[in-house]
This record gives sequence, C-alpha cells and structure tokens, in this order.
Amino acid sequence: MALNPSARGAVYDRGYRPYDGPRGGRWAATLALYKASVRRAIGLRRSWRQKFLPLALLAVVSIPAAVNVGIGYATRNSPLEGFSFFTYREYVGVSSALLLFVAVCAPDVVCPDRRQRVLPVIFARPLTGTDYVLAKLGAIFSLVFAFAVLPQVLLFVGQTLVSKDGSLHYIADHADIIWKVPLAVAALAAYYAALSLAVSSLTARRIVAGASIFGITIVSSVVAGILRHADALGGRGPLFNVLALPLVVRDLIFEGHVHESSPLAYVPGAGALGLVAYLLVLGLSVAVLLWRYRWAER
Amino acid sequence: MPRGLVGLVGANGAGKTTLFRLLLGLARPTEGAIEVCSRPVAADPVGVRSRLGYMPEHDCLPLDQSAADVVATFGELSGLPARPARQRASEVLDLVGLDEARFRPVGGFSTGMRQRVKLAQALVADPELALLDEPTAGLDPTGREEMLALVSRLSSFGISVLLATHLLDDVARVCDHVVMLDAGRLVVAGPTETLLHQTGKLTVEVNAGIGRLARSLMEHGLTVVSDGPFEVDGEAGALDVVVGADPGPVLDTIRDVLADLGLPLHRLSSRAASLDEAFVAAERGVEAWR
Repeated sequence: MALNPSARGAVYDRGYRPYDGPRGGRWAATLALYKASVRRAIGLRRSWRQKFLPLALLAVVSIPAAVNVGIGYATRNSPLEGFSFFTYREYVGVSSALLLFVAVCAPDVVCPDRRQRVLPVIFARPLTGTDYVLAKLGAIFSLVFAFAVLPQVLLFVGQTLVSKDGSLHYIADHADIIWKVPLAVAALAAYYAALSLAVSSLTARRIVAGASIFGITIVSSVVAGILRHADALGGRGPLFNVLALPLVVRDLIFEGHVHESSPLAYVPGAGALGLVAYLLVLGLSVAVLLWRYRWAER
Repeated sequence: MPRGLVGLVGANGAGKTTLFRLLLGLARPTEGAIEVCSRPVAADPVGVRSRLGYMPEHDCLPLDQSAADVVATFGELSGLPARPARQRASEVLDLVGLDEARFRPVGGFSTGMRQRVKLAQALVADPELALLDEPTAGLDPTGREEMLALVSRLSSFGISVLLATHLLDDVARVCDHVVMLDAGRLVVAGPTETLLHQTGKLTVEVNAGIGRLARSLMEHGLTVVSDGPFEVDGEAGALDVVVGADPGPVLDTIRDVLADLGLPLHRLSSRAASLDEAFVAAERGVEAWR
C-alpha cells in the first residue's frame, strides 16, 4: 500500500538563511543600545517588579501637580482663586523621588553590563566606547527629562484648563514657561544623567552604585552646609553642594540671576560661579565615563 | 588564514583570547598589521566588527532577559533593523536548538543552553567570520558533540570560523586548518591533514596471536614498537612496525609472516600522528629554537 506522502511525517532541517537585508553602522548600533537601555530602565520586557518602581515614582512626583490643579479648580470662583502651592520654577527641583529614580535607573543600565560581563560582546559590535557612553547618557537623560517634565506638562495643561480667564489667556500669560521649563529640565536631566552614570560606571554592583549616588549628594550637602555656616570661602560654600548646582542653572534660565531663596543669593558672581561648577561636574562626569569605557575606543 | 573552519590551539595563556581581541580591534598590536575580511583592523575597526561574530569563553549574557530578547538586541547592536533582528533571532535560536526555550529567561538555562545562546548571538547578524572562544567549555559529552556538530555546519552556511580551544580533539574533528600558539608565538600552522602527518610506521592489528606475530617480525629483521610485551599468544592486539623510505619490502614481509602463522588480520594501515603529538613536537622545536 502506498503511503500518502503527507501522512509519512518528515524530519526536516529548515537550514540557514543568510541575511542580505539592510545593515546600519555605528549610528544604528548606538540607537539600538539607547533603546535597549531605555527599555531596561523602565522594566519593559522584564517582570512587573522592574516596572513597578519607576512608574510608582512617576506617580509620586505627579501628585503635587494634580493637587495644585485640583485646588485651582476648586477655588476658581473663590477669593483663593489663583492660589498655587508652588511656581513652575520651584517644581523644576530636586525631589527625593527624582533622586531615587536616578539612583535606581542609572545603575541598572550600566552595572549589569560589567557584572555579567556583557561588555566584551557589546564592544564586538560596530560601536565604540564613545558610542556606548552616548547611548547610556541619552537613555538616562531621556528618562530623567520625561520624569521631570511630565508632571510639569500635567500642571500646565491642568492650570490652562481650570483657568478662570480662559485657556488662551493663561497660555499667553505663561508663554515663557513653554521654553523655560523644558530648558531647565534638560539642564537638570543632563546633569543627573552624567553624574549618576559616572558613579555607576565605577562599580559592577547596582546597590553600591545607588548608595554611592545618594552618598555623594548627602556628603556634599553636609560639606556645603558646614562651609556656609562657618562663613568660609566668602559664602561660596553652597557651590560644593552637587544638588544645588542644577538649581542655579534653573534660576538663571527662569530669572536671569540666582533666586533670592538660594543660599548663594547674595554671593557676588554666584550665577557665573554656579554655572562654571555645574559645567565642571558635568564635564568631569562625562570624562569619567569616557575613561571607564576607553578600552573599546579606537 | 584560509576560509572555512580554522582551529586556534594553545594551552591556557597561549594568547588565543588576546588574538581575538586584536582581530576585533579591542587591543592594539605592538607591531605588524592585521586584516580581517580584507579590511585593515587599525584603520577600520568598526567596519571589521560589523562583519564578525564573537562568542567569548566566559558568561556574557544578561540573565534576566529571554533568549529571544537577548539575541534580537545583539542583532540590532550589529546594525540590523529591529524587525529583521527579531526574525533572525528566532531563526538562529531555532538553528541552535532553542526554539521552544527562547522565551524563557537566560538565567534559568543550563550551561549547554547558555552556550547555545552565546553561539546564537554570534551568528544573529550573519557574520563573515565567527570567532568562537572555547565553545565546548563546561559541556557534558553529549552537549560537546552537539556543539561540535553545530560548529562543523557553519562553513556550509558561508560562515568562516576561528575556533579557539585547548582541546586538540575538537580541532581534529571539525577544523580544516590548524593554528597552534604557545606563549603568544606561532608554533605551527597548516591544513589539519598535513599536521596529522605520517609517522613512518605501519600499524598491524590481529584478532589473535599478537605475541607470535611480534616475535616472527623481529626474527625477520623488522623493528617492532609496542606499548608492552606480547607474552600471551592467543591475545588480540596491535603493534607498530617501523618502515624505512621504501615500505614495499616491509609490507611483503608482514604479508608473508601473517600467511605463515595463519593469523586473522584485522587492520593494516599507516599510522598517523595525533594533533597532540604534532603540538608536542612543534613545541619542542620552538624550545630548541629559543
């Protein structure tokens, strides 16, 4: 009896198909590393535990904006109309949630590469050490920017919608916010991305990197506080507070000078000094990063 | 080096991994120049790397991601667009035998499965040359057989392979050419079959009467080499007979002796050197040169 060929079953080898499609170069590889790092930091394609913390922190930093908008809505026809807990300038600040976000995400995108010895396989690809640093910096910058700007967007849109004078009037009155907030947030994000990644690149352990990021901010705050109270360095002690430096840049963007509430407010040339210190920390952090990944640089 | 499967052999510390780093442009040679896939490494390391696949000896995989994600990400890092990278990852994982396990986290994989993922990430971008550093390290005998079978198929896919190992048997089984290193120096290089050169000996194996055969051959003036005495006449066994420049008379003598004694001949063949012997002999040559 002849067997139906289809009923015999077959062990077949699908073999190997060469790839003859498009191939990108360094830029494509850098972009791919950037996307992979963003996905990793916010827990995409990972378990829910990795997604929880970044999203929870984003929710936490959005609460003040939501409350502010809610109060604005509730008091729009009362004598308290126009009341606000904080200004847009003040909202571009350093919150514990932002610090925690940075201390969790930055180590997560670089430490495992070193600890799990993935770096040699990454650098066997068409990219260099500089490309690696750019991709990681870009990823953390984007995330911190989004983390800090989304509550601002919520606040702006909310205030626009509940404004008694009308949305267009509110937007016209606050037109400068549309460029000042993104610029200040970008300065903040660049600073924290570089600083946190530089610290994280020095160790293979995420917990050590996260603790070090907190440690540097706390120690520098304490040192700056001691110098300020000792009235040393002509009142320039707060410049040693790494947390305060991006706030000086923020003040320069919003006000053109250091705000009166800043500990540097009455120090001559505080704005310029703060900007120099900001750029120094930023440059030093990038230099540390390039140095740490120099072995793949050709 | 020629296309195909090339074995890079040497003891630990011989410089195999360093050579890989040089080929990848991740280390600079103190002198000389390197070309890989017709491209100068010093002038265009990124271009060279775009044509290479690299499988390191050590663990190198993100443990908390699925095999499919890991391989697809490495495909994208090699320059493939996202969609083709995922498709290639699926195909290559299928090729290495991980089709069903590809959505499981790599951290839960056995050593053999991780080795397969490492091989898959090296192949995902369809390289011209795959640098495989000890691909059978840590594998059980079955896993080793399967890995060698996979590696031996790569040249038929158009992928040349440089296989670094200290297991000469692996090289003898799958490689067309061999390069031997010792302490950073080239010891010997050439086609595998050339290195498995003739030793000037014939191996005679009989199913019985090995002792009588040895005594008779010696009585006929031949030089017999064996691992031990042949005291039990009824034993089966093998012995080597030294042949000179002309093996004809020796072969005639062996034939006559076997016929006279009426012994059951099992095998009569030229004895080839093993790669181990070639490596030891070449190392001795290097030592003498030093």
